[in-house]
Amino acid sequence: MTKYILKRVGMALLTLLIITFLLFLLVRIMPGNPFPSERMSADQIANKRAEMGLDNPILVQFVDYIRKLLLEGDFGNGTSLYYGVPINTVLSSCMSNSFRIGGLAILIGTALGLILGITAALHKGKFLDGFCTVLSIIGVCVPSYVFLIFLQYYFSFKIPFFPYFFDAKRFLFSSIIPSLSLSLFTLSTIARFTRNEMVEVMDSDYVRLAESKGLYGNSLVRRHVLRNALIPIVTVLAPLIVDLLTGALVVEKIYGINGIGKLMVDAITGEGIDYNYVLALGILYSTLYIGIMLVVDILYGILDPRIRVQGKAGDA
Amino acid sequence: MEMQVNGNKSGYVPQPGDFTFLPDRDIATDKNFASISYWKGVAIHFFKDKKAVIGLIIIVAIILLSIFGPMINSYGYRDIVSFRNENNKKVVAKGIAPRIPALHQMLTGESYEDDFADLTFLFGTDDLGRDLWTRTWYGARVSLIIAFVTIFIDMLIGMSYGLISGYFGGVTDQIMQRFVEIANSVPRLVIVSVLAIFMPKGMGLVIVALLLTEWIGMSKIARAEMLKTKEQEYVLASRTLGARNGHIIFKQILPNTIGPIITQVMFSIPTAIFTEAFLSFVGVGIALPQCSVGTLIEDGFNNITTLPYQILPPILVLALLMLGFNFIGDGLREALAPKLEDM
Amino acid sequence: MKKILSLILAAVMLMSVVSFASAEDAYLGVMLSSNVMSLDTNLATDGDSFEVIADCIDGLTQMDDEGAAIPALAESYDLSDDGLTYTFHLRDAKWTNGAAVTANDFVFAWRRIAKEAGEYAYMLDEIGNIKGAAAIIHDGADPETLAVKAEDDKTFVVELEVPVSFFPSLMYFPTFYPINEEFYNSVGEAYGTSPETFLSNGAFTLEAYTPGAASFSVKKNADYWDAENVKLAGINYQVVGSSDNALTAFRSGTLDIVMINGSQVDAAKKDADLSSKLTVTGAGYMWYLSFSQTEKNADNGALANANLRLAISNAIDRDNLVDNYVMDGSLATYTAVPPQFAASATTGEDFSADQTRFADYVGFNPDKAAEYLAAAQEELGREEFTFTMIYGSNEGDEVAKVAQAIKEDVEDLLPGVTINLQSMTKTERLDKMQNDNYDIALTRWGPDYADPMTYLGMWITNNSNNYGFWSNAEYDQLIADCTTGAYITDYDARWEAMLQAETLVMQEAVIAPLYTKANANLISEGVEGVAFHPVALNRVYKNATK
Repeated sequence: MTKYILKRVGMALLTLLIITFLLFLLVRIMPGNPFPSERMSADQIANKRAEMGLDNPILVQFVDYIRKLLLEGDFGNGTSLYYGVPINTVLSSCMSNSFRIGGLAILIGTALGLILGITAALHKGKFLDGFCTVLSIIGVCVPSYVFLIFLQYYFSFKIPFFPYFFDAKRFLFSSIIPSLSLSLFTLSTIARFTRNEMVEVMDSDYVRLAESKGLYGNSLVRRHVLRNALIPIVTVLAPLIVDLLTGALVVEKIYGINGIGKLMVDAITGEGIDYNYVLALGILYSTLYIGIMLVVDILYGILDPRIRVQGKAGDA
Repeated sequence: MEMQVNGNKSGYVPQPGDFTFLPDRDIATDKNFASISYWKGVAIHFFKDKKAVIGLIIIVAIILLSIFGPMINSYGYRDIVSFRNENNKKVVAKGIAPRIPALHQMLTGESYEDDFADLTFLFGTDDLGRDLWTRTWYGARVSLIIAFVTIFIDMLIGMSYGLISGYFGGVTDQIMQRFVEIANSVPRLVIVSVLAIFMPKGMGLVIVALLLTEWIGMSKIARAEMLKTKEQEYVLASRTLGARNGHIIFKQILPNTIGPIITQVMFSIPTAIFTEAFLSFVGVGIALPQCSVGTLIEDGFNNITTLPYQILPPILVLALLMLGFNFIGDGLREALAPKLEDM
Repeated sequence: MKKILSLILAAVMLMSVVSFASAEDAYLGVMLSSNVMSLDTNLATDGDSFEVIADCIDGLTQMDDEGAAIPALAESYDLSDDGLTYTFHLRDAKWTNGAAVTANDFVFAWRRIAKEAGEYAYMLDEIGNIKGAAAIIHDGADPETLAVKAEDDKTFVVELEVPVSFFPSLMYFPTFYPINEEFYNSVGEAYGTSPETFLSNGAFTLEAYTPGAASFSVKKNADYWDAENVKLAGINYQVVGSSDNALTAFRSGTLDIVMINGSQVDAAKKDADLSSKLTVTGAGYMWYLSFSQTEKNADNGALANANLRLAISNAIDRDNLVDNYVMDGSLATYTAVPPQFAASATTGEDFSADQTRFADYVGFNPDKAAEYLAAAQEELGREEFTFTMIYGSNEGDEVAKVAQAIKEDVEDLLPGVTINLQSMTKTERLDKMQNDNYDIALTRWGPDYADPMTYLGMWITNNSNNYGFWSNAEYDQLIADCTTGAYITDYDARWEAMLQAETLVMQEAVIAPLYTKANANLISEGVEGVAFHPVALNRVYKNATK
């Protein structure tokens, strides 16, 4: 198992390198311009490009970038976004906000989603099941920012209990509204998948066998149904986690959250394309995604011994 | 005959004629269902399910409305309802809440008192003065085309990819999964912006952009399902009997993994619709004054405090689409992989 | 479980009570529509950054309520007879670290701007015409050659290439603000990224700030030279990214000054309470259509034909645009230089007060539009033209609406002309325009200083902002005379020449002016004295009270 994990980590790092290079290339052929100045003359712009090293061969730029990143952990400075400020400074504050709000949203969404899904599956075809279906459809159809507007209007304005805008000083308190609205999509998706998976597993032969052996109720669900139903749910959950952690643009905009989602869009659609920000955020996103997929693969092994055997076979 | 054989414990010597095949007896076929083909069975099963039929009706109704809805009034999707007043100023019918003057007259005995008192706007008008009924169904048409095309192709690609990756496992799986990670890691906005250099902007580009990333979710689900099912007894049995990989993957495992895949397809629809709206916003999607369900929701959201009714029709269309697909999905799953109890 | 729940609930309630109690009343809550990009005068390029910098740092002059220059750090100044040398006499003022503000702070800051040659360096050479600036910015000359010097601690001398009549009013633009050299060197690259790395000498000082923060605050600077006249205890800034949210934020009392969009203005006007708090202020910038006149664009260079441009300009109902779609008090505009930002120093009359001067060339006139179109069709020998109009999707709520209304007007009144719309991000739009890869663009320009030249300077041959590639020798000569030639010492003659130059632009419809943007602000009851300006500093809070 250890050898398998090590090998997977190595592979992940290699993938990350390829992604960084791809990003490096793609960002540079994007339409737009890092210095879309209306006031600088051509020679000034040329000087700025040269200063940034944009005139060097792309491979040289790439190697420079990677070296700086690996040796000093430095993503460089913003070029058109928060000019001159080290990206690490801005990124760390944005990350802490997005991670915490997204993390809270995942917790709420997964917990409630599982409860709702299990309840629906156990009451298949009855009222609760239909209720869960409708709820999960609403949750997926109505964008999270509409929920946010709604919550903000009623619980920050009509009843001024929560702060109207995000306030980093009162972190937990002011993240309740955005986290709740963000969690609804996760909640709906998880509830739906859990319900369908559970229903399928409950129909399977081994559950019937367990039932016929006299198992019933909680212990049946816990020991036989849940464990098997959870595997595909982990797959659904993983990308949702990455999406939530990397911020939600509109929610951040409305609630005044200084987060990653807004940063990415600002980096691309702001005054100029900020190559360094796009790269830094791209790398952050890929690292998260690959990391979580790695964890999922390993989790599979724990949840389902058959796959562990497979993994070893593939390893050999 | 067997009884005789078993019963006889004395030194009986088997004779060549003891066992013979019965003529023309197809033991593999269940007599009760012998006359029905697989797909016919699916159809029968599907139409017996009330919810599935309701779902089908909803979807068909939305499709019909998206084709014929704009025809029931005289407004085009881009027509701004307006006239010039005595000072030669343009008066625009913008921001009018849903109204049917005749009905209003009947219920309240009063008529509307603005410049457009006689006009009917079933869903109201938007902030430019265009009829929202027309635009909603026009938008539904655009979104349905985009959603169907992308999801169909995504399903083909994603499902095959995930099933193959999961089935073979080992090195194949490793390589295929690393590719997924690479494909999934480049921000969509970056991919799309680069694509837009090589392709004309518009619906084609939106579909390609959605294709590039949406198949990944599908392949993940398919792979997980494959990992779960491939060790089951019936697969082992098929393999022992010498079935080829392709046959096992697509004929035997696929129908049994259809449930979660259909759920995933369903959840891909709103994603496709919202992504399309985002792409239109950054300028790669369909061009104004055309619209889609996604851009209509976004417009509605931008006016949510001033024209709150504007967001309702597109969200309702989307919710009904989802509900319809959900019911159909449930019905299909039961119909495609019938469980014992249903036989 | 229940216990834990009730504990959490109690804690949450307590937090909220505490927070309400600690709210500082004399802080003004102000909405910003985008993030502050930089507090470094060399790097800042956006109005919001300029506003916050100006809260904290004073220049040689400051803006009065009408936008005229009044003394700030310079108590007085002398101008030599040839109009080329300004001598500023500084008052006793202090930086927040206790150091005195000296002439050297200006020398250091200005040389740094010239050396770094950033976005606003052109204020030094092209606009300010400071001796030596052009050579440093464009040819990399030694920054020491910039003709500014500290005669002593309190005397700052600037030499110009040519007389610049509006030079004192340039001095309130943040590019010309001082920086303390010693402090700058001690913090280096981190300058302006936190309260600790930023030095104020102005009415306010940075209290809490990180780059990219969605909310931050400034507090009153007790050491300010004019501290007794500053009434506010501080300002809480909040970035409100979605304008739809501004109205509710205002009604909730979270913010005292917000900017709302057109549809909300419409709604606010119907509400007696809100309409009394509505204040419309000029935003300065003018939206206009830029036509590419090069052969490769615009349906084989069709827009090089002046009649076709005139036809389009006459088909657009600008009243419809501002009354029905922009709706925030923006003014329909029929001149190449927008009204309300540049008034004559001798007569006091606004440069563009008369909006009917060019009635023959611009306006909503379907008959004329048809005539111009017929003429163009004959000259070009074809009936049909298809153009793509580009506009920014992230440049304001109203832009997409305006673009669609223009399309409807033009296609309605000019049969044969088709306009396809294409939205893109602002950076992509600028990129396309700068590379001359567009047909028609919906674009804007804001004045950097209070003189018509901030607009007229754009259309000279080969100017980088001359996106249509229009070229007219007579026009070039007129502008040259106004900036460096015959008229620079004769104010009225220069004014006349600029009016003449504007006529040339309008006669050929080099651009189609659309509207001059206004901001619709909601201001809480009791908030007084905030000065709004269309140029340089959008809002000045020095005299504000709450």
